[in-house]
Amino acid sequence: MATKDIVLAALFAAIIILLGIVPAISLGFIPVPVTAQSLGVMLAGAVLGAKRGVMATLLVMLIAAIGMPILAGGRGGIGVFMAPTTGYLIGWAFAAAVTGYLAERLITPEQTGLTQIVYFFIASVIGGIVVLYALGITWVAFFTGIGLSKAFLGSLIFIPGDILKAGIAALAGRAVMVGYPLLPQRA
Amino acid sequence: MKTLYAEGDSILHRASARSKLVGLLLAGILTFLVTSIPLLIGLLVASALLLLSTRLGLKDLLRRLVPLAVTISILCGLTMLLQTVETGIISLLRLTLLLLVSTAVTATTAISDVMDEITAAATPLERLGLLRAADIGLAIGLVIRFVPEVAERYEVLRDAHTARGIRPKTLSLLVPLIILTLRDADEIAAAIDARGVRR
Repeated sequence: MATKDIVLAALFAAIIILLGIVPAISLGFIPVPVTAQSLGVMLAGAVLGAKRGVMATLLVMLIAAIGMPILAGGRGGIGVFMAPTTGYLIGWAFAAAVTGYLAERLITPEQTGLTQIVYFFIASVIGGIVVLYALGITWVAFFTGIGLSKAFLGSLIFIPGDILKAGIAALAGRAVMVGYPLLPQRA
Repeated sequence: MKTLYAEGDSILHRASARSKLVGLLLAGILTFLVTSIPLLIGLLVASALLLLSTRLGLKDLLRRLVPLAVTISILCGLTMLLQTVETGIISLLRLTLLLLVSTAVTATTAISDVMDEITAAATPLERLGLLRAADIGLAIGLVIRFVPEVAERYEVLRDAHTARGIRPKTLSLLVPLIILTLRDADEIAAAIDARGVRR
């Protein structure tokens, strides 16, 4: 692994951590503030690609595990891996992997800007919502005994906010690609 | 950066990091094998005593416990309503127990000790050629070194927006933040290689 890959993953992990510290995004039209940390996870895949994106999310998890309060809301410590919502945390690595994999394969430099944004959006939705929720919901269901279908219904209220984040991730991912392309493009 | 480690000299503080982490893992597995409510209550009392033995102040304890306790209460309350009351009570006991034990471990184990254990745990992966264990420490060090820098850059960008009468929005801040931050990667990587940090 090249030193630059480690550095890129570490820098992006720092960005994800910052997104958990800065005030949550206030959208104006949705009353609930949306924490930007899961936006950072979608972006890690979209900007860095699968491998380095996964590394960035794993670094954030490791730093939380060793006892630094860097997750949204100042959470941290080994306990975050033994909580009902742990699936959503571990799911970050899978979300970044799928978002990154899809972005690497769907997006080519020749496409128009709009096509690229749409593909980034699709990659972010599948990775950052479908995959992440599948893991998160399964974990909650088994950890609390609430049952899969009810855990699924309960998590639906978070979907609109996350679709919005996928939109921001798509626009930002495309803009970063234009300004500083890093995504390992594949034919 | 702040850490969740609290200095002290309690029995848990003196125990080795490895024994605490393995103990926590075993507690996690055992808790889910126990289904008897009286036994779970007994274990919960024991874990509360364990947490108290760390001699953390009441304010500090609440600050550590409340956020997750709220999530646990909501989820277990829902479980009681939607499934059976018994299922809800059992998961409430289990999750609270784990919260108490893991909070005790986090508060009494220094970051450097956990890091050593993570590096040790990664050594088998190194033998398989998947990664270099030393890189983990390097990468974590880099992240901790760069969080304040990224935060400062974020503030500069926000001020630049405000100075021009633009309301700072996540999207318009995020793009320059990512590009400016990642553009440093080449120089940082070159600096690391020039110093021969990675053999």
